[in-house]
Amino acid sequence: MTYLYLAIAASVLGLTAWNLWTEKDWRKQATAAMVAIPLLLRVLLIK
Amino acid sequence: MPFELVIFLAMVGVFAAGCFAAKLPVSLSMLLAACAGLLVSGNGLPVRHLVEGTFGYVDTILVIATAMVFMRTVQESGALEALNAVILRRFRTVPALLLPLLMLVAMFPGMITGSSSASVLTAGAVVAPVLILLGLPAPVTGAFIAMAGILGMIAPPVNIPAMIIGGGIDMPYVGFEVPLALLTFPLAVLFSLWFGLPHVKVVEWEVLAAKLDLETYKKYGIRLFLPILVVAVLMVLGKTLPQVFGMGLPVVFLIGAALGLVVGKRFNILSASKAAVNDALPVLGILAGVGMFIQVMTLTGVRGFVVVSALSVPPALLYAAIAVSIPLFGAVSAFGASSVLGVPFLLALLGRDQIVTAAALSLIASLGDFMPPTALSAIFAAQVVGESKYSRVLVKLVVPSLVIIGWALAFIVFSKQIRALY
Amino acid sequence: MKRHHATALAVTLLALAAAAAASIRFLDHRKPEPIVRGPGVTEVRMLSEWLPDLAGSPGDTEVYVFRGASPGSSMLVLGGTHPNEPSSFLSAVLLIENALVSAGTLYVIPRANASGFTHNDPQEGAPERYSVALPGGSVRTFRYGSRATNPVHQWPDPDVYVHAASGQTLSGNETRNLNRGYPGRADGTLTERVCLGIANLIRAEKIDISVDLHEASPEYPVINAIVAHERAMPLASQVVLGLEFLDIKIGLEPSPKNLRGLTHRELGDATDTLAVLMETANPSQGRLRGRTDEALVLKGRDPYYVKAQALGRLYVPFDENGHPIEERVGRHLSGISEFAFALSSERPDRPLEFAGVPEYGALLEKGLGAFLKPLP
Repeated sequence: MTYLYLAIAASVLGLTAWNLWTEKDWRKQATAAMVAIPLLLRVLLIK
Repeated sequence: MPFELVIFLAMVGVFAAGCFAAKLPVSLSMLLAACAGLLVSGNGLPVRHLVEGTFGYVDTILVIATAMVFMRTVQESGALEALNAVILRRFRTVPALLLPLLMLVAMFPGMITGSSSASVLTAGAVVAPVLILLGLPAPVTGAFIAMAGILGMIAPPVNIPAMIIGGGIDMPYVGFEVPLALLTFPLAVLFSLWFGLPHVKVVEWEVLAAKLDLETYKKYGIRLFLPILVVAVLMVLGKTLPQVFGMGLPVVFLIGAALGLVVGKRFNILSASKAAVNDALPVLGILAGVGMFIQVMTLTGVRGFVVVSALSVPPALLYAAIAVSIPLFGAVSAFGASSVLGVPFLLALLGRDQIVTAAALSLIASLGDFMPPTALSAIFAAQVVGESKYSRVLVKLVVPSLVIIGWALAFIVFSKQIRALY
Repeated sequence: MKRHHATALAVTLLALAAAAAASIRFLDHRKPEPIVRGPGVTEVRMLSEWLPDLAGSPGDTEVYVFRGASPGSSMLVLGGTHPNEPSSFLSAVLLIENALVSAGTLYVIPRANASGFTHNDPQEGAPERYSVALPGGSVRTFRYGSRATNPVHQWPDPDVYVHAASGQTLSGNETRNLNRGYPGRADGTLTERVCLGIANLIRAEKIDISVDLHEASPEYPVINAIVAHERAMPLASQVVLGLEFLDIKIGLEPSPKNLRGLTHRELGDATDTLAVLMETANPSQGRLRGRTDEALVLKGRDPYYVKAQALGRLYVPFDENGHPIEERVGRHLSGISEFAFALSSERPDRPLEFAGVPEYGALLEKGLGAFLKPLP
């Protein structure tokens, strides 16, 4: 189950990062970055 | 003036300036407010605290993101529009039944995701054109789906504010279904008629049919609704047989999304998922921002100041304090109001039935989604109905909001009697 | 490069920098603080000796053994069940560094939930560490942890936590609460396996009495109290009287039969041990507290708790002097000594006798640092 959830978190992280790079408005990019940080640290099993 | 109040005012000031003056999104304004709190309190800028705060909502972020992906597949497969067509065909001549049904459809994503925005942006977006077809003006339609958003957020099975409030006093999120249903469904019926009846016209089926997608349902039939059914069944099983079906909402939604891929119209799952996460990002960003904001409030003592101030209110004014402070704090976010104020008020209301009281407090907290500048539900609803000023939607929601507060307070006052009903 | 790609790059780099800065702190939190092996310690074992499956896992943890020269009764002290309750951990550390056992055997687990020490709870603003000055000028630093197992070691939480032995349901995050997982199970979560390891230890070593050390927030009803399994009630009543004699007021509550998964219920039911739990008052874990920092953890002073006391919201007295760590550790250590004394009086043929444990008055007078050993 842990691996499944890590995969889900990684997928959401990937979609978030994709949106960050295709988004034109820097404010929305920054919002995406705020969401990406906890997902990244969870996927890397840091926090 | 206590120093904690100074810090709090600095945080609120920076937040408001970010939202109104700099026109920043709520998420970034919240981040800046958290930074302001750290600096004013003399803590420097410890990134650890900012990042740590966001972890309070990591699981919620996954729930909302996967729910949005699921809703997007339901939409893209044609199931949502088909559902509307079915409902319209059956009930168009009986608006007193049709309006509550449309309200229920619009509430559904909020019920399963616990997010009003999920409701407004998905099912709300599908129901809105139907309401306009039926004769509702755009601002009223906006108010209708915004209301569906917050009622859906509070209605069972998933109610995140109630989870947050219960979590604060070690009360499990168990046994909330009935009180939440009693709180929300009568209001859903009432407000659907309130917004709808004065405007709704009985429209000829031929006129409606021309504007509806009838082909999808004809082509795929009842199986279009299979993903919704499977998700609903898995959610019920998850509650009743958690040992076997306790895979959690994200997995349930992804199973639903996978089904949505094969039951109806074909679509590109990658771009649909990307769009779904894009729609969700403002809400996910707010969650991350609220996490930071609350972490800083706790660190600097502002949380203690707010909580003890709320508890200091004389008992006679307690209800007034609940009615005013929780929706006001909801300007930060409904989730933030639940965590910071919902918990101490529940503690102050000892002697009531705790589940009914927590459920009622969560309903009041949901009004935060109407409170500017965040006003998530109203802003998204205005966007969906193409209304450039969300204040036009908001105006329609003022009186209903007062009704909601009165209804929720009645549940608190009569919590024990209500508990005895079931 | 397009303009929005430039901003995307900038935002990404900023986010990565923030993530890296935070990661350094999060990873640093995993380094265990040293505990000095005191003169009374005869062995240091690992919990995995009683549940081999735990070996190498973040749940494995040290078990300090004090074997007296003459045989007698045995006691297990659990510190750090909730790593955000520092008097629990520090009491165990002071035992390890100071206690001398002459009769019977003492087992001390300072970090019962070792994983919980490796992180802080989100939105609690807790300090990562706190430091205590020693008379010689050196400083000892300890981690302030979380109430629960680190999600990095056990994730995700279910929506509803079902206690395996009873079917009792609790909110999902209680899955990571060590004191809801007893008696534990071999094929369960990391938390449940640690519970099983501790239960196995109790069974294998025939532990006569198990004392689980805790703290509670001042607004929580069970505080400055002993909670005892029904078989331990007579002994616990004697301890209450004994503490009363030392001017330490403490409540006594029977372990509720319907609250499952806790040490005082499950260890008492599943093993032959006399299971008790002790609580002290810790404002740094409460939700009414003001500024959260190291000083709050150690001095236990808080203006908002003083106000809340005036409003009648608390279950312990709370004035400007607060509840300093010395008082809280002193209560725990006095309680442990009284339990050993009461057990020895009840079973004179199998005494449990130890010396060197810092006394309540001495702790208040000299401070905690006076009883910590300098690091070698």
